[in-house]
Amino acid sequence: MARRFLTVEDVRRAAGPEIVTEADTLVTPQALEAARAAGIRIRAPGGEYVEPAPDRGPDAQRAAYALPHLPEPDVDPELTGTGAIVTVVGRNRPGILAEITTVLGAFDVNIENISQRMIDEYFHLVLTVDIPPGGAFPALREALQCLGGEDDYAVRVMHERVFRFMHRV
Amino acid sequence: MPFTDQEILETLRMVELETLDIRTTTLGINLLDCADPDLESTCEKVYAKIVHHARDLVPVAEAISADYGVPIVNRRIAVTPISLVAAASGAEDLTPLARALDAAADEVGVDFIGGFSAYVYKGFTRADHALFESIPSALRETDHVCSSVALASTRAGINMDATRRFAELVLETAHTTERAIGCAKLVCFCNPVEDNPFVAGAHTGVGEPETVLNVGVSGPGAVRSAIARLGPHADLLAVAETVKRTAFKITRVGELVGREAARRLGTVFGIVDVSLAPTPAVGDSVADILELMGVERTGAPGTTALVALLTDAVKKGGAMASSSVGGLSGAFIPVSEDGGMIAAVREGALSLAKLEAMTAVCSVGLDMVAVPGDTSAATLMGIIADEMAIGMVNNKTTAVRIIPVPGKGPGETIEWGGLLGTAIVQDPGRFSCRVLHDRGGRIPPPIQSYRN
Repeated sequence: MARRFLTVEDVRRAAGPEIVTEADTLVTPQALEAARAAGIRIRAPGGEYVEPAPDRGPDAQRAAYALPHLPEPDVDPELTGTGAIVTVVGRNRPGILAEITTVLGAFDVNIENISQRMIDEYFHLVLTVDIPPGGAFPALREALQCLGGEDDYAVRVMHERVFRFMHRV
Repeated sequence: MPFTDQEILETLRMVELETLDIRTTTLGINLLDCADPDLESTCEKVYAKIVHHARDLVPVAEAISADYGVPIVNRRIAVTPISLVAAASGAEDLTPLARALDAAADEVGVDFIGGFSAYVYKGFTRADHALFESIPSALRETDHVCSSVALASTRAGINMDATRRFAELVLETAHTTERAIGCAKLVCFCNPVEDNPFVAGAHTGVGEPETVLNVGVSGPGAVRSAIARLGPHADLLAVAETVKRTAFKITRVGELVGREAARRLGTVFGIVDVSLAPTPAVGDSVADILELMGVERTGAPGTTALVALLTDAVKKGGAMASSSVGGLSGAFIPVSEDGGMIAAVREGALSLAKLEAMTAVCSVGLDMVAVPGDTSAATLMGIIADEMAIGMVNNKTTAVRIIPVPGKGPGETIEWGGLLGTAIVQDPGRFSCRVLHDRGGRIPPPIQSYRN
């Protein structure tokens, strides 16, 4: 295990114009400040000191290699992209489905299932969609949720995994 | 297998209308490697390590919340009990460490940091003593730091000397922080859990890994609506089953978020704490659940039986849903934070004595209970000792977070706003336990065989 920290006290005690840290040593912000003030250079073995990646401990290290982690409920092996559930609720008028599917098409998203119900002049629409690998989920969600408006309709996009965890064992 | 419309709408209803949320993602960080003979260097290391590890916590939680569409309400940090970290320094005043924790919490943008803590159920070390004496100033001078102490355990008994001192510290904190707010960040435990993600008791025990991500899920609203849909004529097995099923679904969401947050942070996923943690928001109330289950007002005869059913059903649903259920898991009854409880106290339905009975079967203890500001240290100690005894004998975790409100008497109201809500000062009675207070010493642990 490498030395964990380099503190102001270590900088004060340093003899000479530079300190060479070990690979995983964390230099405290105060020590960096003190070294700068005293004109002492802090250097890592390979070059300039940069803050090391956090050492999350041996358990985290092992977990990173021990793939797969816990089993996921009801995984469809053919599901390669990202599944999402799009729900639309609002007051009915012509053209809503077209507006939604235009955005989906623009993002190259495949619609796997679609269902709609009407209650008086209100409707709710549920679409199960598949975003292709590398597709931008956040951008799609943003674009869809911008549609509609007050007194019109509201769109909500949720990751399919939420439903899978809740309803499948 | 595609999802049915009912399944999809159920999830949406739980998130949108029934305030299902991830109450907290709490990053546990071990600070034992920060110990240093010099207190100033200890503080420096503590600050550096927390910021180093928790810098990504808030962005990761926000990203997951956006990706999955499930709100993550709070981001918190739990650290190793500070008395252990500070011991090597030999310092008498540990307030500088509290300030270092506070500064780190500020820097990474979390709302609370727990772990200004000590375990004293059998006795004090010098560092435990220093920590105790630093509690009032630590809570006065910081915004985010939470303090917890373990006064009792089933195996060690109750340290009554520590309980007595703790009661005095609660009074001092009440009188030196604005509107006694410091007491909301101060809690004592019997049988503390080392992976509790909820404040004020959050800390990272010595058996925990270097860093660990724990999640607390909540959903009194979802349970409440499920019971409401069940109606008043279903029998109690059906009620228990409904709670269990709802708790199962809530826990699954917690497991998903916990796994994902741990993966993105590159750490290990610890536990999901599935607790019905109420908020002052309408509908987000444990008292409402009890009232729908069958009592006119929380505190009426039958309430304790229903809390027992509710707590157990939540635990069972959680245990089925995840192998990583831990923390406190069950039903919280923080009086000031629950709209239904506040109403019950206001109407005289819920007394301090009934509340104490409920804590014997809920998942924590006397939580966010206000008493008059002129309550004596002896009386306060008696209330705490009673609660510790319930936990000790029943092999369960109990806690006391009690707030003596200066200048207020029984029946008066104190408003904190936000999550802490509104409290109505409760009457601890006029009889004293002075002799018990003066005796000091320890209550020995209960025998573990011949259990009746």
